[in-house]
Amino acid sequence: MRQAATVLLDSLRMLRASMLFWISIWISALVALIYASIGFTDNGISVLFGAWDINAPMLNKHSAEAEAFYLLLFTDVIARYWLGWFSLVLALISTCSIFPNFLQVGSIELALSKPISRVRLFLLKYTGGLLFVAVQTGLFCLIVFFALGFRLNEWNVTIFWAVPIITFSFSLIYCVSVFIGLVTRSTVFALLGAILFWGAILIAQWTEDTFYKMAYLMPDVGVGMDFQTGQLKEAEPDAESGLKKAYQAIHSVTQVLPKTRECTHSLKRLIKFEERDSMLTGVDLGMVLSGGDVDPQLKSAMEKYENRHSWFTIIGTSLLFELIVMGVTFGIFARRDY
Amino acid sequence: MSEFAVDIEYLRKKYRGGVEALAGITLQVPYGCVFGLIGPNGAGKSTMVKSLLGILRPTECRGTMLGEAIGKKAPLARVGYLPEHARFPEYLTGRQVVEYAAGLSNVARSSSRVRTEELLEKVGMSSRAHDRIGSYSKGMKQRIGLAQALVNDPVVVFLDEPTDGVDPEGRIDFKRMIAGMRDEGRTVFVNSHLLAEVEQVADRVAILTGGKIIRQGTVEELTRRGATYELKIQGSVPDQVKDWCVERKMQVAGDSITYTAENPLAMQPLIDRLRAAQVIIREMKEERFSLEDLFLSEVQRARQEAAPPALPAKKGGPS
Repeated sequence: MRQAATVLLDSLRMLRASMLFWISIWISALVALIYASIGFTDNGISVLFGAWDINAPMLNKHSAEAEAFYLLLFTDVIARYWLGWFSLVLALISTCSIFPNFLQVGSIELALSKPISRVRLFLLKYTGGLLFVAVQTGLFCLIVFFALGFRLNEWNVTIFWAVPIITFSFSLIYCVSVFIGLVTRSTVFALLGAILFWGAILIAQWTEDTFYKMAYLMPDVGVGMDFQTGQLKEAEPDAESGLKKAYQAIHSVTQVLPKTRECTHSLKRLIKFEERDSMLTGVDLGMVLSGGDVDPQLKSAMEKYENRHSWFTIIGTSLLFELIVMGVTFGIFARRDY
Repeated sequence: MSEFAVDIEYLRKKYRGGVEALAGITLQVPYGCVFGLIGPNGAGKSTMVKSLLGILRPTECRGTMLGEAIGKKAPLARVGYLPEHARFPEYLTGRQVVEYAAGLSNVARSSSRVRTEELLEKVGMSSRAHDRIGSYSKGMKQRIGLAQALVNDPVVVFLDEPTDGVDPEGRIDFKRMIAGMRDEGRTVFVNSHLLAEVEQVADRVAILTGGKIIRQGTVEELTRRGATYELKIQGSVPDQVKDWCVERKMQVAGDSITYTAENPLAMQPLIDRLRAAQVIIREMKEERFSLEDLFLSEVQRARQEAAPPALPAKKGGPS
């Protein structure tokens, strides 16, 4: 316990000493505060605690759309793009040097000469790197929790699902960065390798997503694509079987890859709004902003699209990937002479 | 329990590239002594220490450290280590480095605080303990390194080139601190290529070269190979004494006679003979073998033994 506390405290000290950590924390707090500053008036939205009013009658303070807008802004925009993208890039830049620095001559010897096993040391050091994201996301969620509480009287602890999910999503890239950092002992290679890998799996996930939309979502709402003209056309739900085959092939390939994007998207399934769920499920921010009643066929197809992956596909296969990469990395760490 | 803090029966390390850093060594370090391991660069000194501490995995190892098999983690709780070129995280202060080492060694928080303050005082870093490591000189870092090596109140302390980069005043302090550790009953294992320093501080010494221990023993035993005695007289050496000296392989040059012997007793017949010849003896001085002399001659000998024999010249070839 004492050793674990020591290594984790050291990780926190390392983070505190990193300029990027503070920049990231401040931006996070700023984004969360801007979110908290959004309110609704009789005529629409007010931003920066009433300093700037936007005329949008559809989102007036009495409308159900205003509440949906506020909640979806968090799950569909902020969680996906700020927490799931920008903050993770900053975290990766800040943490990719942890293992290469730790493995430097004169540094690793100090730790290995202590009565702590290599597996424990490795896992604690690894966990220390994840603290960067956990601390930042935790702070962010705390502000959002109070914002939702005060704005919508929605005191919703499921918001805090973002902490483990975003941290897990980060860990899928971080484990690759640690692997490359351990093999090459280079911070630059660790960062570049991890970013390239992230880019590759994102392309795979986008491809899978696009093919699903074309093969299932669009036919489900009676829309198809004419590939010769690029125009949309009416279609039967069972049409486009070639696309379905292509989707199945792509899905099989992406199955073995870690799903950072899907993890972030899964937050929408985990963050529950008891009384508002029927209003939010199968609906995205664009649909809310377009106004009017949502087509039940589209809502149903969207719901199917959002829930198309099982938890095993999203978390299970990603976890399996991480365990394999971690296993190989630890094997190298444990057997190497320093 | 073994009478040795470190008892290496057999230790061999061959790296993946095929380089044999330790070619099967045997070594005993008794409790409570300062043990100096000396050898040229690349001799395998650091490899040996790292093998004992589990930092690298020996190819073959039999032996004990603090009564437990080498390679086990448990005895490391009673071991301190200052690596060569120690590198501490620059974001930590001197005090935090010592506390970090205490935490990894499982030292209870309450005793770690007291011990940290004591050690910072001892190594002369109390006034700078709250500053970040990044602002320290090499010598200051080494002092903090020594404090972190002692924070768990170790029975054995391994110091790998401890005075590397330390100024002369700091070196004197280090020697004093090493002697202090011995007085506290600790076993101190010093790796160094600074022979004069080792000679001043070590009780026992081993010479490691080419992955083999070629000599080991107390400093006195190793340097007791004899001494050179130089005797100076007034005027030149008379012919009858000169002949007598040459017969006994003494070197005569002008007014001085030099002779290598086990002890000064061997010089007494010469003095008698000179006195009988009414020669005035001006001075006689003894020059003992230093560790450096021993080291140079042993390393030289080891290299000659290891060198392949010269090939015979081909018939008819260039002479």
